[in-house]
Amino acid sequence: MSRRLNVSVDHSRCVGNAMCLATAPGVFAHNADRQSEVVDPAGDTEEEILEAAFNCPTGAIRVEVAETGERLFPRAG
Amino acid sequence: MTPTDLDDLFAPEVIADPYSYFAQLREADPVHWNERFQLWVITGYEEVVWLLRHHELFSSAIMKHSTSPPYPPVDPEDLPLFDEVREFRGDQLVEQDRPEHLHQRGVVHEYFTPTAMESWRPFVRNAVRELLDELEPLGRMDVLTVFAAPLPVRIIAQMMDVPFEDRDHLRELADSILYMNRGEPWRLRPLTEGMRGIVEYAAPLVEERLECPGDDFISILARGEKTGVFTRHQVLVNTGLLLFAGHETTMNLICNGLLALIRHPDQWDRLRADPAGMARLATEECLRYDPPVKSTQRIAAEDVELGGRTIRKGDRIRWIMAAANRDPSAFPDPDRFDIGRQPNPHVSFGSGIHYCLGVALARMEGQEVFRALAERFPRFELATEEVAYQPSIQFRSLKSLPVTWNQGDR
Repeated sequence: MSRRLNVSVDHSRCVGNAMCLATAPGVFAHNADRQSEVVDPAGDTEEEILEAAFNCPTGAIRVEVAETGERLFPRAG
Repeated sequence: MTPTDLDDLFAPEVIADPYSYFAQLREADPVHWNERFQLWVITGYEEVVWLLRHHELFSSAIMKHSTSPPYPPVDPEDLPLFDEVREFRGDQLVEQDRPEHLHQRGVVHEYFTPTAMESWRPFVRNAVRELLDELEPLGRMDVLTVFAAPLPVRIIAQMMDVPFEDRDHLRELADSILYMNRGEPWRLRPLTEGMRGIVEYAAPLVEERLECPGDDFISILARGEKTGVFTRHQVLVNTGLLLFAGHETTMNLICNGLLALIRHPDQWDRLRADPAGMARLATEECLRYDPPVKSTQRIAAEDVELGGRTIRKGDRIRWIMAAANRDPSAFPDPDRFDIGRQPNPHVSFGSGIHYCLGVALARMEGQEVFRALAERFPRFELATEEVAYQPSIQFRSLKSLPVTWNQGDR
């Protein structure tokens, strides 16, 4: 069983490079302003979501464990 | 091996091996004022990423703001040509700040998204195969001139949707524009000839595409002119930007990556064992370990505190991805070439709003090339004692990469 995640995109940072759409197409989609939106936080695997977050060129993606609120990305520090 | 003068960015030792030099600088002073060249040199990973994510503090409009002459020096009688270079480069997308950058990038953005670029993979794969079909029986090649240089030009020609028979002319123009990154004192002459050549070549194409737009890159730029985002000059110089930015960088990725693979036979064997499966991560490691672009510039838009230093408004800044990519605080065992490295958050494509527009294409080209080479060639031998690099602080460009292979090994 995979755990539930909270995934969010900071629109003050997102410039619409669409890297996340390539890595986790089930989770992210572009809105009319060409910025990423989370359409389904369970649309891809945790590994794919974290890869999308890690590779976001503007560091706009935040990932937490829904149950505990534990932050998976960006890492603390 | 390392020069004692930490400010000598162009010392032959630094051009040959930037990694030892920048490691020393990063340890001693990650935000360093280089007195000789009058600029800040940023080498720490964290500092580089911070700088790139604060575009409001650091301007990309270098040509507009900087008055420093070309370096290495050029023939004094050629100096007036540098104004032409300034005008050409200054109008390109990479030199814009917000808000213009946001609008201009919005025009070309969709063309280059990873999803859109994926449709190019069959064309790229086929272009790689065609070139290697010709080369494989020869047993030797200069990777740079017969493979790494022609491949991206083929792809760019297709993206511009120009006739097949124009390809050689486009290649000549692309080769002239490479003088942007050379050290010869006479380099501004072939460079400006190439710049005029691309403008002359593209001008009728733009007229044509304004009339009957297609789905090619020039039509996309022309559409931006129609909607008032680009001037005609910007359309023309950004066509030139595609030709230049997609050419030299890809050449360097292929050559530097292959050289690293040749020098690390265990990693080459690893790639050979599963070319299709390893190509993606291997390409990322090639990009990190010996990046096509070593460094880029910014100019401080206001006074900024960084790493305990005060950077003054108007100061020039050079940030070194080749150093950040080897920062032990971001990459365990950073000097080890490990094609399975994951995660690999290198900054070879930059970060923030100026993040490389062609990233998905570059990755695809790298993946297809390294995969095909590993599938087809058992082993390469370096056919030279020593490799040499162009004397550029910006690009990590080999002058040539002669290799041989034994066809009987297969």
